[in-house]
Amino acid sequence: MDAPLLKIENLRTYFYSQSKQAFIRSVDGVNLEIARGETLGVVGESGSGKSITALSTMGLISAGPGVISGTIAFQTNGVQKNLLQGLENYVKLTEQDGKVMHVSKNVVGWEKHSDRIMHKIRGKEIAMIFQNPKASMNPFTTVGKQITEAIRLHTKTKDPLEAEDRAAYWLKQVKIDSPRLRLTNYPYGLSGGMCQRAMIAMALACEPSLLIADEPTTGLDATIQSKIVDLLVELKGELGTTTMLISHDISVISRLSDSVAVMYGGTVVECGPARDILATAFESKHPYTTALLTSIPSEQNIKEKGYLQAIEGDVLDTINIPLGCRFYSRCNRVTDAIRKKCESHEPDLREISPGHRVRCWLYFE
Amino acid sequence: MRLSAVKPIALVMTREIVITTLLLLGVSFVVFVILYFSPGDPFSVLLQGQMASEEARMGAREALGVSPSWYTQYVSWLVNMFQGNFGTSIRTGLPVLGELIRTGINTLYLTVGSLLVTLAIAIPIALYSSVRGETVFTWPLTMFAYVISALPVFWLGYIFIYFFMHKFNVFPVFSGTGAKFSWLYSLLPIFVLGIGNGTTSEVIRYLRDEMGRVMSEDYIRTARAKGASVWKHSFKEGLLIPVTEMIAAKIPFILGGAVIVEQVFNWPGMGRMAWQAAQDRDFPVIMGIAILAAVFVRMGSMFQRVVYVVVNPRASQE
Repeated sequence: MDAPLLKIENLRTYFYSQSKQAFIRSVDGVNLEIARGETLGVVGESGSGKSITALSTMGLISAGPGVISGTIAFQTNGVQKNLLQGLENYVKLTEQDGKVMHVSKNVVGWEKHSDRIMHKIRGKEIAMIFQNPKASMNPFTTVGKQITEAIRLHTKTKDPLEAEDRAAYWLKQVKIDSPRLRLTNYPYGLSGGMCQRAMIAMALACEPSLLIADEPTTGLDATIQSKIVDLLVELKGELGTTTMLISHDISVISRLSDSVAVMYGGTVVECGPARDILATAFESKHPYTTALLTSIPSEQNIKEKGYLQAIEGDVLDTINIPLGCRFYSRCNRVTDAIRKKCESHEPDLREISPGHRVRCWLYFE
Repeated sequence: MRLSAVKPIALVMTREIVITTLLLLGVSFVVFVILYFSPGDPFSVLLQGQMASEEARMGAREALGVSPSWYTQYVSWLVNMFQGNFGTSIRTGLPVLGELIRTGINTLYLTVGSLLVTLAIAIPIALYSSVRGETVFTWPLTMFAYVISALPVFWLGYIFIYFFMHKFNVFPVFSGTGAKFSWLYSLLPIFVLGIGNGTTSEVIRYLRDEMGRVMSEDYIRTARAKGASVWKHSFKEGLLIPVTEMIAAKIPFILGGAVIVEQVFNWPGMGRMAWQAAQDRDFPVIMGIAILAAVFVRMGSMFQRVVYVVVNPRASQE
C-alpha cells in the first residue's frame, strides 16, 4: 500500500489568550491519515477542534495569535511535503515558571512563509468547501467569474471562454439546472443549497487531490441538507476524490465515510473503519463515541429509552485541560479498577483491532 | 462596466437629480430668509458714510428694481434663476453666474485636489494597519494621522508659505502670469488643505475598520482557500465603496476648509468670493454661492450612489 495522501501527525494548534495568559489548546495532538481515494469523516461536538484541524491543513490559521506545531505530510506528485515546515521559526515564546507569559509572532514572516508553502497547494491540490455557502461566495462577483477564476488559476485551461465551458460543465455535474444562466447570476440570486452546489463545483473544478468539506450541510434546510449529501455520495462514486468530511452530524458522516475519526477536546479519541465505529454494537468503543451514537435521534433509540439521550456535562475547557483522560468528568463507564488511571494519566491512541484505535483505559490492561 | 447596470444608473441619477432640485429649493429659501432678516443689507453698504435718509434708501431700491416685500423678492430671484440669471453683483455690477463659474472651477480644482491628497495619505496607512494588524509601525502612523488632523488649516497655511516660499523657495511666491512654473504655486494650497482639513484621521479609521471587517468575511476565506488574490476579492467592498462614502461625506468639510485656505493663499475661488460677499451683504452673490456649494455636496453623494450601484449587483436590482 502506498503512503497516505495526507498524514497529520501530532498537530497542535494553539491560540494565545493575552488576558488569560494561557494557550487555548484548540487542537492538541491530532493524528489523522487519509489514504488516496478514501473519505475520512471527522466527527465531534462544537469546539472539538475539527474545523481548526482543517484550517491548519489549509494554512488558513495565519491571522492573529495562532501557533501551530506538528507535521502535516501531504503527497504531491509522489513527493511528500510537510506543510508546516519551518513555521516554528516565526514564533517566540517567553516562559516563566512553566507558564507562557508572552507570545511574539512574526505575523508577516509567518504568513509569507505559509503562503510560499501553500501557494501551489491551496485550491489546486487541496480544495475546501465551507459551511454557510451564501456568505462564502463573493457577493460582488458572478458565480461564473468565481468558478472560472479558480479554473484559470489552477488548471491548464487559461482561455476565458474555455474556462466558462468548464465551469458550466461542473455546474451541471453538481446538478444545477440551466448552468449557463447560473454562471451569470450573482450569489444573492441563488438559494443556499444552490450556493453550496456552486461552491462544490468551484472546489472540484480544479480537480484537487484532496477535498476538505467543513460542515458542508450546516446552515441549510433539512431537505436541502439531504440533497447535498446525496450529491456528495454521487460525486464520490463518480470522481472518487479523496475527501476529509467534517461534520457534527453522524448521519452525514455515516453515509459518506470509509473511515471515521472521532474528536473530543482537541484530540482524536477514536479512529478506524466506518463500519467498526458506527456499528450499533457498542462493546469495543470509546465511551464518547458510544454516547454520541446513542444521542442520535433515531426511532430505535427513542423506543428503547423513551427519551433522547444527552451527554451529561459541558464541553471541555480547552485552556485548563485535565491531567488525565479528557472525557473523564463526563464518562459514564469509569470502573473502580481504572478510575485512578483515568484521573491522572491520559491514555494513548492504541489499536484494539486491525485499523481501529481507541484512546481509553477500558481496553488496555 | 456591466451593461445591466446602465438602467439602474439612469434610475439613480434621475432620483438624485430630483432630490437635488428639491434640496436646492430648500437651501435657497432658507438662505434667502436668513439673509433678509439678518441685520444690514446691500443698501446700507452702498450708502455707507452718506448718512442716507429713508428717501435715499428707497430711491436706491427703486433704481435697482427691488420689490418691496421679501417673498416677492425671493420669487423673482427664483424665476430669474430658472432662466439662468443669477442676478448681478451689487458690489462689482458683474453678472453673478460668470463669476460663479470662474471661481467654482478654481474651488473644484482645490477641493478635488486636496481630497486626493487626503486619500493618498489615508489609504496606504489604513490598508497597512488593517492587513498587518498591530505592528511597530501602526502606532506611529496612527499618531501621525491624528497630529496632522489636529493642525489648524490657517496656521498650516502660513507655516507652508513661510517655509516653502520664503525660506527654501521651493514654490514660486506668485501665481503671476508668465512665470514658467507658476502652476506649481497651486500645489501648495492643495497640499495644505489636503493635510489640514481635519478629516484624515477619521478617513483612516473608517477605511481601516471597513477593510478589517471585509478581511474577516467568509468569502475572503474562500478566496484564500482557492488560492486567489485576497486583494482582488476585497477591493470592491473593502476599499472602493468606503472610499466613495468618505468622499461624499467629507466634501462639506473640505469646502469649509477651502474658505480659509483661499483667504490665506489669495486663491480666486468660491470661498474667498463668499467671504467678500458676506462682508458686502452682496445678496445675489451669497445666494449663488450657497446654491453652488449645495450642488458640489450633492455631486459627491451622487458620485457615491452611482459607484455603489455599479459595484453592488444587489443595489441595482432594487
